[in-house]
Amino acid sequence: MEIVSSYVEKAEERVQEAIVSGKVKKVPALTEAQEEELALYAIARMIVSCANNRYLINRYAVAEAKKTNDYLSSDSSAHPEYVDAVAAEFGIKFEKSGAQFLVPLGKYLTYTPRSTDYKLANREVSAGKVKVSNHERVRMLEEAVKKKIERELPIRAAFPADVKASGARVLALLPKLESAVVKVGQENYPPCVRRMIEELSLNVNLPHTARVALAIYLVRAGMPTDKIMDIFRGAPDFSEKTTHYQVEYLRTKGYAMPSCSTMDSYGVCVAQCHCGTPLNYRANVHGRALKREEPNEERARGESEGKK
Amino acid sequence: MSGLVMSNEEKFLHKKFSDYYSSSTVSVRGLEKREFGFGGWEKKIEFRHLSFKNESELRARLVAEAPLYISHSLAYYEFPDARPMPRKIWEGSDLIFDLDAEGHTCGKFTCQQCLDRVKADAIKLIEEFLLPDFGFSKSELAVNFSGSRGYHVHVVSDAIYDLDREARREIADYVSGTGLSFERLFWNEGKKFFGPSSSQGGFGGKFARAFVAKLTDDSFAISIARKLKKPEEKEKLKMAIERGNWDNIGITNREKKLSEKFEEMKLTMAGRIDANVTADTSKLIRMPDSIHGGSGFSAKRLSSPDAITSFEPMRSAPVFRSAPMKLKATEAIPALNIQDFSFGPIPAGEVRELPEACAIYLICKKAACIFP
Repeated sequence: MEIVSSYVEKAEERVQEAIVSGKVKKVPALTEAQEEELALYAIARMIVSCANNRYLINRYAVAEAKKTNDYLSSDSSAHPEYVDAVAAEFGIKFEKSGAQFLVPLGKYLTYTPRSTDYKLANREVSAGKVKVSNHERVRMLEEAVKKKIERELPIRAAFPADVKASGARVLALLPKLESAVVKVGQENYPPCVRRMIEELSLNVNLPHTARVALAIYLVRAGMPTDKIMDIFRGAPDFSEKTTHYQVEYLRTKGYAMPSCSTMDSYGVCVAQCHCGTPLNYRANVHGRALKREEPNEERARGESEGKK
Repeated sequence: MSGLVMSNEEKFLHKKFSDYYSSSTVSVRGLEKREFGFGGWEKKIEFRHLSFKNESELRARLVAEAPLYISHSLAYYEFPDARPMPRKIWEGSDLIFDLDAEGHTCGKFTCQQCLDRVKADAIKLIEEFLLPDFGFSKSELAVNFSGSRGYHVHVVSDAIYDLDREARREIADYVSGTGLSFERLFWNEGKKFFGPSSSQGGFGGKFARAFVAKLTDDSFAISIARKLKKPEEKEKLKMAIERGNWDNIGITNREKKLSEKFEEMKLTMAGRIDANVTADTSKLIRMPDSIHGGSGFSAKRLSSPDAITSFEPMRSAPVFRSAPMKLKATEAIPALNIQDFSFGPIPAGEVRELPEACAIYLICKKAACIFP
């Protein structure tokens, strides 16, 4: 396999950009540029595959997906056929309904982000179709691109030497996550919180609702903002500024911790420990331990102390 | 099987169940890709990760072992008997709705009220959610009695085949109205107030229609505005809402009143299902047309979703019809009617001769023993 070496260089720049800024620059879709654009995309995928690192793959997927959104948002009014063409790639057919669009239920559920904005219960659902706005339609395609890249990479193949070298350089550019993710005293955290922290450290793209719940928990558990930010550093779309703003926002607004049943509806409840809200978990576990291990008088004392 | 020594009752049930499977056919869609689980006297699922190549292999095993409970996965796997779970390689899954009387107040014995209530829940699920909202066709729905006191609605459709847990959880939350929010269905834009029309899909439309229907109830109407006592005022409001106009309806404190009504009516608009079962992509569910070891009734498959309206479980689900048997009640048994035979109440310790279906029901409930 032979690849124009200037393309490899440019493709490497593209991946580096994804790591550093979390975005891939939009290029004007001129006919002459299209071939290059396609080649760059293909080579960038090879470079990411060579590096073979889950954080890189997921972060790269987020960046490419955002670029899709940028393109389609600006094209959707001038060239609605572009949006349809991308949708067709994912087997999605949007049906026009006034100023909005109808999308089949299964596709809606597969390609909308899990956030309260997209909660099916508050949507117009009829005859197996869900109504979405143009903006939401493009957001679905962004999610589809992200999922596709996450699923497809790494590609397993024998790559040319310059692509491999490029992969190695990109890998060296990655932040040292092992040291960035703080060791938190996790043993007292409820199973759902432990799982979310663990997933973030594995660079899983947690849904928005789960991230909010985790941040509220950590704020309420008394963790300072910079420590919380360290936990979120593992998120493939982590942005220092946005995360800081959001955590501080949750802190000043004093949001209540979602109940266990809400956590369950977010799909993040993993243990059914029936403590009402994850914040009660510590108290409950502590209470149970006391009941098992201590004689009556001490238990009574222990419980009243626990309430202080 | 429990322990080394089987009680007479257990032996008897195994013999009866084995006879049943030797004289009936089994049919499971995509059988070779499903995981099976068997249960016995102590546990509903004692063994799982079982798989069968075809119907005759499964049937031979059922005749030989006569498990008291037989379940299969909703999922289709490449290797259904592999373990741990990820090795099975999940390919897709039917969508399931489990409706049960568990939350209802009756105890161990099945009561007609509970059965009627669950049946109404199942009809509501099908007619108000699965067909109109989710757009499934009747041929994509397979309904069966659970064998105890509920119903299972299986959806077999390409539209849901590869949905993951989170997507299925959204479907379950939709049906049970979890996460439903007044603020998302009604909103202000500038000075204008917007809400759903009667013809709109989803809970918005459900609320508009339910609200219009409730206006015929005077106490409901008056609780919104005194002027709604007058039929012509009611009519005006109905027509406005049907078009989705909630703005100029001349009701003071409009938003607060509507949101209160919305909260009140949420539960009646929603369906009652076990959401965890719907979301679980590796769930094992009772095999349709197998016998439920807790009742001796068949988890009878209905010929079509419509057949549920006339289905009477206590009459049609019991399968045994041989000679009557003598039993001794080991606890107090309430009045019951099985296969149109009324019996009881029977005080603990008393001996009765009962038709086989009734006797097997009591043995399965562990409420009676065989009288020698």
